[in-house]
Amino acid sequence: MKEIILNETPVRTSRNYGINNIKISDFEEPVIDAFDNIKITDNENCVSNQREEISLKFGLGEYFLAQSNEQSNVDLKISVEKKLKEPIIIEYDFDEENNVLVDNINIDAKDNTKANIIIIYKSENEIEGYHNGICNAKIGANANIHVTIVNLLNTKINNFYSVNSSVADESKTLFSMVEFGGKYDVVNYYAKLDGYKATNKLHSIYLGKEEQRIDLNYITELFGEKTNVDIEVNGALTDKAKKNFKGTIDFKTGSKKAKGKENEYCTLLSDTSISKALPMLLCTEDDVEGQHSTATGKVDENELFYIMTRGISEKEAKKMIVKAKFNSMIQGIKNEEVQQLVLEEVDRRLD
Amino acid sequence: MSEKKTQIEDISRNIYDIKNKDEYSYKAKKGITKEIVEEISKQKNDPEWMREFRLKALDTYNKLELPTWGPNLDELNMDEIATYVRPKTDMKNSWDDVPDDIKNTFDALGIPEAEKKSLAGVGAQYDSEVVYHSIKEDLVKQGVIYTDMETAVREYPDIVKEHFMKCVPVSDHKFVALHGAVWSGGSFVYVPKGVKVDIPLQSYFRLNSPESGQFEHTLIIVDEGASLHFIEGCSAPKYNKVNLHVGCVELFVKKNAHLRYSTIENWSKNMMNLNTKRAIVEEGGEMEWVTGSFGSKISMLYPMAVLNGANSKMEYTGISFAGHGQNLDTGLKVVHNAPHTSSVINSKSISKDGGIATFRSLERVMPSAKHSKLSVSCESLMLDDKSRSDTIPVSDIRTEEVEFSHEAKIGKISDEEIFYLMSRGISEEEAKAMIVRGFAYPISKELPLEYAVEMNNLINLELEGSIG
Repeated sequence: MKEIILNETPVRTSRNYGINNIKISDFEEPVIDAFDNIKITDNENCVSNQREEISLKFGLGEYFLAQSNEQSNVDLKISVEKKLKEPIIIEYDFDEENNVLVDNINIDAKDNTKANIIIIYKSENEIEGYHNGICNAKIGANANIHVTIVNLLNTKINNFYSVNSSVADESKTLFSMVEFGGKYDVVNYYAKLDGYKATNKLHSIYLGKEEQRIDLNYITELFGEKTNVDIEVNGALTDKAKKNFKGTIDFKTGSKKAKGKENEYCTLLSDTSISKALPMLLCTEDDVEGQHSTATGKVDENELFYIMTRGISEKEAKKMIVKAKFNSMIQGIKNEEVQQLVLEEVDRRLD
Repeated sequence: MSEKKTQIEDISRNIYDIKNKDEYSYKAKKGITKEIVEEISKQKNDPEWMREFRLKALDTYNKLELPTWGPNLDELNMDEIATYVRPKTDMKNSWDDVPDDIKNTFDALGIPEAEKKSLAGVGAQYDSEVVYHSIKEDLVKQGVIYTDMETAVREYPDIVKEHFMKCVPVSDHKFVALHGAVWSGGSFVYVPKGVKVDIPLQSYFRLNSPESGQFEHTLIIVDEGASLHFIEGCSAPKYNKVNLHVGCVELFVKKNAHLRYSTIENWSKNMMNLNTKRAIVEEGGEMEWVTGSFGSKISMLYPMAVLNGANSKMEYTGISFAGHGQNLDTGLKVVHNAPHTSSVINSKSISKDGGIATFRSLERVMPSAKHSKLSVSCESLMLDDKSRSDTIPVSDIRTEEVEFSHEAKIGKISDEEIFYLMSRGISEEEAKAMIVRGFAYPISKELPLEYAVEMNNLINLELEGSIG
């Protein structure tokens, strides 16, 4: 067991605020064996087993990148060379024999392509485990790529995840991220928008329960003219869960007429959960529009009362309200089965 | 005919840059050592408890590290700073008795004039010591105390001991520890129960001596049901080497009391302004911060309110203007510690000519602060693409019974607003200048008239010219 510090913000603030990074005092280095529980739905033959060296501008930290490059047990490459009609779905299932996963997914989307890629991580309920994953996406010009990453692991597996993407001219990229699992759920997301009129949307939902520690560090850098970033995060915390949300929109010199907005809403369902947020706007270009907002509070009493007058219990009413808040993001996942899976997980986890 | 241009000028500094000869009756050696601290204590004729306090603070200073965040402080070399400079006069109660050169400086800054017109009392500090203090007679009769900090240590030892560096402990950060070791000057105010001081008290801090520091300590206690508006102003002439300001402000707002603390900070652009201000607010108390940060090379300034009593409130209204060579890292901190507390935060910043303006904040709601409400709004205006503007707010919410919202905007002057005004027959230049003045208005309207005028002078929005 050792202490590690990871997921540093691009700009530091006072150490006393406890949000520049996350410290894990009881980190156990995993023993990495084979991981065989993978199901891939790939009707258009885009996925191959292929290892590629990855470099990250940010990421969780040197340890996790080195582990991924040197000891990964699953390496996938997704080559998108046309407009795909069918979704690509990759499912990783953790069980007693397959409880340590170090995976790389490299997405290479060429110019003028289109794809819907869904990556799901699930687990049996009581097992302990370890996941260190990296999704590296290179999105070509005028491409339209939707990547959905669904973390439905249990609350005993440590989940460490990095996303790295670069977005070229006039491409539209949407990342949908579901953050429900992980004893520690530590996620670093980086998008570099250097193409003219490149768009990057990140829609994310999180749900923390028991003693889960969620640390989300979303970083976007806008270099290109008329680029557009939209970060929308909705979450709920119950029991003794703690969440750090760190969102950065960095307008670089030259990103004229760029627009960036980030919103984070956290619903607190218990009096012992803790919500921290650091929505940063960094700016060295004057001709931009940037805005952020965060809001934290409990379930609206009027909404709750209204639903309960229809004969629904308080617990069910709260679930309904949380699902309603998550709804627009979940409906954005382009697969009805996955939508249903996520909705059922909200029910199950809030039971 | 040459084209008229509107310019948003850098702050006009002519009156602030008056330099007097560096004359003093005592100037400490440069650097920070036990011997220097003991010598300062001896020079100030400290009581024993204060001498010991200074030495303990020095120990703490030596143990603590520089902050690992915020502006780069590499240029600050404590071995080049004299921490104590006693001017060649003692404190006077009559303006006529203040030496001419010092008097002329404050005259130019409008200090005695302000006193005549609109203030209940005035204090003026020159380098490390207060040179003038006065208060209106009727307030003295009501039991209001307004004096320099050294007099308070001598004449009100019990109340000073009970409060001095209790709100801001020396272990808070390295510069607070430095302040504890070498503090000098500043103001002490006590407003007794139920007394409402209707017109403001004002202290003005002037640092004239080059390569030196100012470490004034302000301690204000507003007792139950009382109210006060306190104003501080600060300025210094510009030198080529770094000067240092490490003041400390401790405010105690008792049950149902009200305190407004207004600051117009206009240090010269060689000044490192590493000031700490904090208020503890008891049940039903109200704390208002009104802050304008215009000067200094580097500022790290985050006034803090600890809402310890139920139904207590905090309001922060601040603006900063970072021009060429300036890095103004400002904002606030608030901790909600009791139920039904509320805070409203409005911050604005303007950056131009390569200036860096950063809004940095902490809003923390403890589990005991049920039914609290917080609203944070910050806006940044960039006037060119050489400048930098960052917003770094942290919220830390530890109870579900809370309403918290934060919003921030960043950008340049909107083309739509300019178009709208121009469609009403206003020239483009005038429209831009109007928008900038409007941007600063929510802050200036909170200031007393004289200070609003000073702020307007500082921003110096000249209507003839062009922006950008």
